[in-house]
Amino acid sequence: MGMSDDEIKAAMIEKATKSPKPALYVKDFYKCDAETKPRKIKNLANELVKEGKMMFWSSGSTTMYALPDRIKDEEGEGGI
Amino acid sequence: MAKHDTPLLDELEKGPWPSFVTDIKRQAEKNPDCWDILGILELSFRDKITHWKHGGIVGVFGYGGGIVGRYADVPKEYPGVEHFHTVRVNQPASKYYSTENLRHLMELWDKHGSGMTNMHGSTGDIILLGCRTEALEPFFWDLTHELGQDLGGSGSNLRTPANCLGESRCEWSCYDTEELCHHLTMHYQDEIHRPAFPYKFKFKFSGCANDCVAAIARSDFAVIGTWKDDIRIDQAAVKEYVAGNIPANGGAHSGRDWGSFSIKKEVIDLCPTNCMWMEGDELKIDDTECTRCMHCINVMPRALRPGAQGGASILIGAKAPILDGAQFATLIFPFIEISAENEFENVIEIIENVWDWWMEVGKNRERVGETMQRVGLPTFIKVMGIDPIPQHVKEPRSNPYVFWEEEEVEGGFDRSVEEFRKRHAA
Amino acid sequence: MGYDPEKPMVDRITDLGPPHYSKFHPPVIAKNKGKWLWHEITQPGVLVHKAESGDECWTVRVGGARLMSTEHIYELCDVADAHCDGYLRFTTRNNVEFMVDDKAKVQPLLDDLASRGNKFPVGGTGAGVTNIVHTQGWVHCHTPATDASGVVKAVMDELFDYFVTMSLPAQVRIALACCLNMCGAVHASDIAILGVHRKPPMIDHSRITGVCELPLAIASCPLGAVKPAKATVDGVEIKTVKINNDRCMYCGNCYTMCPAMPLADPEGDGIAILVGGKVSNSRTSPKFSKLVIPFLPNTPPRWPETVEAVKNIVEVYAKDARKYERVGEWAERIGWEKFFEKCNIPFTIKSVDDYRLAYDTWRTTTNFKYTNAIK
Repeated sequence: MGMSDDEIKAAMIEKATKSPKPALYVKDFYKCDAETKPRKIKNLANELVKEGKMMFWSSGSTTMYALPDRIKDEEGEGGI
Repeated sequence: MAKHDTPLLDELEKGPWPSFVTDIKRQAEKNPDCWDILGILELSFRDKITHWKHGGIVGVFGYGGGIVGRYADVPKEYPGVEHFHTVRVNQPASKYYSTENLRHLMELWDKHGSGMTNMHGSTGDIILLGCRTEALEPFFWDLTHELGQDLGGSGSNLRTPANCLGESRCEWSCYDTEELCHHLTMHYQDEIHRPAFPYKFKFKFSGCANDCVAAIARSDFAVIGTWKDDIRIDQAAVKEYVAGNIPANGGAHSGRDWGSFSIKKEVIDLCPTNCMWMEGDELKIDDTECTRCMHCINVMPRALRPGAQGGASILIGAKAPILDGAQFATLIFPFIEISAENEFENVIEIIENVWDWWMEVGKNRERVGETMQRVGLPTFIKVMGIDPIPQHVKEPRSNPYVFWEEEEVEGGFDRSVEEFRKRHAA
Repeated sequence: MGYDPEKPMVDRITDLGPPHYSKFHPPVIAKNKGKWLWHEITQPGVLVHKAESGDECWTVRVGGARLMSTEHIYELCDVADAHCDGYLRFTTRNNVEFMVDDKAKVQPLLDDLASRGNKFPVGGTGAGVTNIVHTQGWVHCHTPATDASGVVKAVMDELFDYFVTMSLPAQVRIALACCLNMCGAVHASDIAILGVHRKPPMIDHSRITGVCELPLAIASCPLGAVKPAKATVDGVEIKTVKINNDRCMYCGNCYTMCPAMPLADPEGDGIAILVGGKVSNSRTSPKFSKLVIPFLPNTPPRWPETVEAVKNIVEVYAKDARKYERVGEWAERIGWEKFFEKCNIPFTIKSVDDYRLAYDTWRTTTNFKYTNAIK
């Protein structure tokens, strides 16, 4: 019995909360459920963004995921 | 009326090449914020250093790409460019436009942004330069609702795919590059707009080995047209070239007197495989030796055409030098048919094979070409589920350090040292 | 009606993709797609494509600064409306193409373009220098080591004659990238103008706590040159980072992640010149560009050293190469030692590779040519 989507999402939020790094690569979430394919994990991470529980941080060349209160921009004006 | 003195930039209004400085000044008469573009650029010309800062969290909601955040580090002096984010708009395949569409897009950009653009960016996108954070969502709304258009990719997304103009206006294209590009762009909208991978991933589609979109140098997944049958020869046109009645190389050398055309010097002797010769006044080609490099076809476009049985080679893993050094793409599938009739399912199958493996094995910020280097081409060939063929390499390896799988070796790896010792004293 | 910030998700549209290209094909293109027979460049910047149907598509190619205003684009549209049934296209090298279906329509189009000052130079075809592909530079980028548009303008002014004629041995593709991340991948160009930093980043200890996530800054370095460290700011010990200068290759990735690590510098930054790359598979395999001049200073507004270096290489090549030979093919035929001698470029230790896979470039044969480099 694998984890349900909601269980995986909860594990991802927990990972993002506890990690010393404020922003994580999608790969960092793979371990939240080793049985789930990377593409599915990616989709769940993007769902969390849609739900407003995570947000993107992009260097322009790479993109990371962060909890909204754990990431800052130099302007400090917040993202959307 | 100019807001800042720009004596250095004014120097770039001289000379025969179109001046971007003159152009920005013209735009500034309409949008005064553009005076601050000139102001901050003049400051950089004086200081010899940039005055821009990166902003990582600006975007439109739900998209992880398409916007690159940018702020001025001297906003008080140049308030018009305090926020100056980049918007990437996905270009139509082949970059043809109706003026109706282009005008409408520019009107939207005048309404929401600075009015400065790049036509186009390195990825192929329409780049709109200079938008305030609060204008991003309204611009995106109008772009989608009024024009039915969308943003392109950035970050760890599938980047906006790009193609050469292909069959639309080129006699050499061996497949329909714009249809394949458009189809895959639509098929992978999610991957273009939301991060999906360890790092960026690029598709580029060229119709022939001249490779006008630099697919072999710049794309993780390069589809480059080639053919399976023989070069089509029009012997009557060959005679015309030999007689000097048609300019060689499509007229590309007409600016200098290179002497009269010599089919031997300019075609036969430059063929990399020496597979051409004249028999009387007929040009002969041993097509089994031909590597389809395009040189002879480039030189005599009215006499020679690519074969009729078109398709493409798939090469994987090109990238610019960061980090391990530049890589060209490696030939993995020498020839596949490219057909809209099966909705390109054979291409899609290969792409997803690569992705499934790379998403699992690729390290953060590692392009697929670097992952291939790290695990080795033999492993990658196995992952792709194909047989190794000599076409995969320039030459066989010169070192003998071959790894064998245990099951490949008779009797396996487990042996009894006691049995060994019975016959070999220590 | 329009975007409502109170209800951003109501009626939101996403994942539309680009419009279908077929909506933008001029009629002669739509009719003859896939049925073209041959083409010819009848004069610099003017091409004719002949279709099986007997139709002809005449294309006039004009150069453009890639950095364009909407005003400029409206004017492009005016030209296309007046002559081309309201269609135009852009090339992969930032040129603009106007297409007409009759030879008789070409001259009026050329006359119109010529009447508009120097905005629309006709050329960029065949054995010449076509438009330079380039990046943003000081106009918009946060990690550039040089400007882009300004350098390109200065170089194209000097090489303008090669844009409007076809007198070189082959096409010469020039590209500019304003730092070694190479957004505009210049690594396979006949001549590459590359912005280079030469100083490792500074650490702004007083700001780093406020604007940086240290683990991200440390992880951002491709070479592991950013290490955790401690510093004292206003008598208080803070966590910060330090740079192992010997490992830094000045890519600026850490600065993107952490704005308290600026690396650009007026004296440190400048331009390197690489030559001999090609993308086409014609005759010889694609080639990388090779570093021949490690550093030229940033000298705005017209970068005379860079302009002179590029022009010199083009002119020596123009005189010495054989018909059809690209810059890299010419350099390989005569030997790189001869390239340096003929171009009068001093060979420095910086051109000897000491990065990964470097051995591939070391000479492992007794075959060489005597040049002025051997004293």
